[in-house]
Amino acid sequence: MKISKLFLTALLSFPLFFSCTNDDDVPVAPVPGAYENGFFVINEGSGAKGTVGFISNDLNTVQQDVYGDVNSNDALGGYIQSMFFDGEKAYIISGSSNRITIVDRKTFKLIGKITTGLVNPRYGVVVNGKAYITNANSYDSPTNATDDFVAVINLSNNTLETSIPLNTTADKIINDSGKLYIIESYNNSNVLVVNTTTKTLETPINIGDSANSMEISNGFLYVVRNPFGVNSELVKIKLSDKTFTTLPFSLENVKNLDIYENKIYYTSGKSVYSMDIATTTPSTTPILTYTSTSTYGEMYGFSVNKNRIFVADSPAFDVNGKVYIYSLTGTLQKSIDVGVGPNSFYFN
Amino acid sequence: MTLRNLVLLFCMLCSQFVLAQDTIVNKLQEVIVSDIYLKKYSSSQNLIILSDSIINQNKPSLTSLLNYNSTIYFKENGLGMVSSPSFRGTTAQQTAVIWNGININSQLNGQTDFNTISTRNFDNIVVRAGGGSPIYGSSAIGGSIHLNNDLVFNNRILNELQLDYGSFNTLGIHFNSKISANNIVAQLGFSRNSSSNDYDYVGVFDWQGNQRKNLNGEYNNNNWTANFAYKINSNNKLKFYSQTSSVFRNFSLIYESDTKTKYVDESSRNLLEFDGKYNRFTVNIKNAFTYENYQYYGNILNDNFSSGKVESLISKVDFGYKISKSIHLNTVLDYNHSKGFGTSIDNKIREIGSGSLLLTRKLDNWQTELVIRKETTSAYQSPILFSLGNAYRFNSFYELKLNISKNFRIPTYNDLYYSGGGGFGNPNLKPESSYQAEIGNVFSYKKITFSQTAYFIKIEDFISWKPAMNGNWSPVNLKKINTYGLESILNWKYNFYKHYFNINATYAYTISKDLETNKQLYYVPFHKMTGSFGYGFAKAYVNYQFVYNGFVYTLLDNNPKQIVKAYKISNIGIDYNILKSLKVGFQIANILNQKYQSVEGRFMPGRNFNILTNFKF
Repeated sequence: MKISKLFLTALLSFPLFFSCTNDDDVPVAPVPGAYENGFFVINEGSGAKGTVGFISNDLNTVQQDVYGDVNSNDALGGYIQSMFFDGEKAYIISGSSNRITIVDRKTFKLIGKITTGLVNPRYGVVVNGKAYITNANSYDSPTNATDDFVAVINLSNNTLETSIPLNTTADKIINDSGKLYIIESYNNSNVLVVNTTTKTLETPINIGDSANSMEISNGFLYVVRNPFGVNSELVKIKLSDKTFTTLPFSLENVKNLDIYENKIYYTSGKSVYSMDIATTTPSTTPILTYTSTSTYGEMYGFSVNKNRIFVADSPAFDVNGKVYIYSLTGTLQKSIDVGVGPNSFYFN
Repeated sequence: MTLRNLVLLFCMLCSQFVLAQDTIVNKLQEVIVSDIYLKKYSSSQNLIILSDSIINQNKPSLTSLLNYNSTIYFKENGLGMVSSPSFRGTTAQQTAVIWNGININSQLNGQTDFNTISTRNFDNIVVRAGGGSPIYGSSAIGGSIHLNNDLVFNNRILNELQLDYGSFNTLGIHFNSKISANNIVAQLGFSRNSSSNDYDYVGVFDWQGNQRKNLNGEYNNNNWTANFAYKINSNNKLKFYSQTSSVFRNFSLIYESDTKTKYVDESSRNLLEFDGKYNRFTVNIKNAFTYENYQYYGNILNDNFSSGKVESLISKVDFGYKISKSIHLNTVLDYNHSKGFGTSIDNKIREIGSGSLLLTRKLDNWQTELVIRKETTSAYQSPILFSLGNAYRFNSFYELKLNISKNFRIPTYNDLYYSGGGGFGNPNLKPESSYQAEIGNVFSYKKITFSQTAYFIKIEDFISWKPAMNGNWSPVNLKKINTYGLESILNWKYNFYKHYFNINATYAYTISKDLETNKQLYYVPFHKMTGSFGYGFAKAYVNYQFVYNGFVYTLLDNNPKQIVKAYKISNIGIDYNILKSLKVGFQIANILNQKYQSVEGRFMPGRNFNILTNFKF
């Protein structure tokens, strides 16, 4: 029996040779207003985890997972799609986890979570204390592409008030004086119009398919369309009567419309362009062109703000991405490593 | 109980060893083996043979069995969920699963989900490390797993019923009946495993302080087998093997509010075989019909699903010729006709023909094997495959094994023909191909066997799905990968008087590098180790086993912050034979209640329990 005991002891103790390394991240105590002077980068991530990163305005402080650091490694959920603000609060949408995490926009401290009424949520806006969230619902099923809806969440108690069925697909959403405009680039050729007072759909604006980005300026909704294989176009919709005019680009695959100080910025491929908002001849001369190894993840996120151009590159979805920050004339100021799939920027 | 019976029991309970000259089966019984090449053409490679007693001691999933008893590393999306292996640093599509000699990797995605295979109705499961495509076809790059039913002519009727009940409402019912008469033998089996699978995540709480649990993880796995052999006369035999399974699983959530999904796998494999022996000639004719079908429900709240189905007809003719006392030649002609359809695949027919030559020379202490195979198909360009192996036994203490081979992994139905949401197949793909060389040293001393194998695999035209046009994904032959490493396997068994012991251990050191980035592939650990210790005394048997999995990177760039941590898990079990025909057992898995994951975000269960009752009648 002695021999057997010896072996048993030896074997049982064997795993102890592999000591556990204690590399749990040490939680960072939230500093009041720590994230006031800077901007957030959404790292879409995977179904297992997406994160929100922070970069200070002087570009010297970089944090990859602000939420986890501040909130004892709690997670936002999988595939972080977007965020929106309401006053001092930020709402972070996790697509695959059907969940919105509410934090203080300056400290990123958790306030609450919205977990009901959402199915593959995408983007949101707030109108009169209510959040309107587009939901792709069963968007991976082509036969069921018409089940998208807008979830109306009462932000006083963070619960679902009602759902507005759209009978088509929905993605990006924008608010103008209580009217919501919704686009979706794959299966929808309309700009949808939702009246927030009646919570019903109004007559949509048929501008054609592949509308990928939009912004409102001076009573006009500017939309960029990039139908495959032909030149893209800018659609300018007069919101008072829903009439529109179009302006062709001499470029294909134009995306990422962003209006900043009376200029329209946009991208095509790996280049950034701008044009005066009033012009009738869009520029084909890039302000800048960057190098990316990806054809899909190029310009995965884009923004113009604070006198800078922000470009997010996602080389693949199994590798960390990069953010490039340029002056408005296209001089590279800094490149910064971020998380997986950086898709957008939000400014505090 | 006589000493002889004890020794037999010892063998049944404890044996697990590198294939050597030993065999569990009594020489007087005639055993019909379906995979005729496994023993004959594997002398220059390492085999781990897991006997039915080992199979019954482990949990009934193939993942669990191999995770604790081989060098293969597993990624498991939570207990019982999708499980994919990495053998010698390769992918799941580069590991072949062979059922009674037939390659059963999915034609749709090229891999086998190791949690859909119930181990209970197989007589042995063999892990064959290294290249095997010249014999077993696509995917045998890292190695192959062989699920075997051996039919024994012994003029007996033996029924076995095992019932398992464990934590998380996990229930197992396994029935196996073996009936043997003069010239006919039948084996009938049924196996069902089901679980609520709602375990707590050890030490994981949500933001409100509630214990987090595995949600939507319930599964049930049903499996039927029927195997027959008929001796027409002493030289001619007819055999029939059949296995049908249906696996219903909900897929575990990562976060409580994730959309709930479910998945149904159905498969059926049927094989009719004729065996003839005429002086120097042998003939083996196989005809198989296999069927696989899946349904994926993207949201269990509605009835929408996507599905795929492939039916295959496989015909194989093997002519064997004994050139001399030591030299055997086999020529094999093989034809495979598959038809695939589903929500993302339009009716596609694929035909593959192949011819192979197998030559073996067996001297007293030196065995040489040469295999050459060439496939022909309209679907893709196929290379010439070969394998050359030598095993030389210098003395009773030391044997040297050398093997070089060229292997491949053919493009799957999805790779070639997919046309659903989010992607499209590429009809111009080439097969992934690999050169492999290995050198093995086997040391034997009394009842100790220690083998050490060093290998190098060069994989080209690795098929990767990449973002292509318009937000869609499409596969391309892209990467080159070098994988190399060391495998060590130790087996020891010993008995004196009423005591018997066995020790088995494996260790794998693996480097698997993408040549473009020079980084380790993600989800390939540098280190994996397993160990088991068994001790039996009279009617009782105690078994301890553990697995250590080194950390893995989860991203391409080997970012050191993005890893799944190393884990080491121990299990313990005790069996007691109350009667000769009645055994009871109790097992504790993860005895140290470790918190661990094998895939990011997918927690595995903490300490859990199982009781079993086994009747033989």
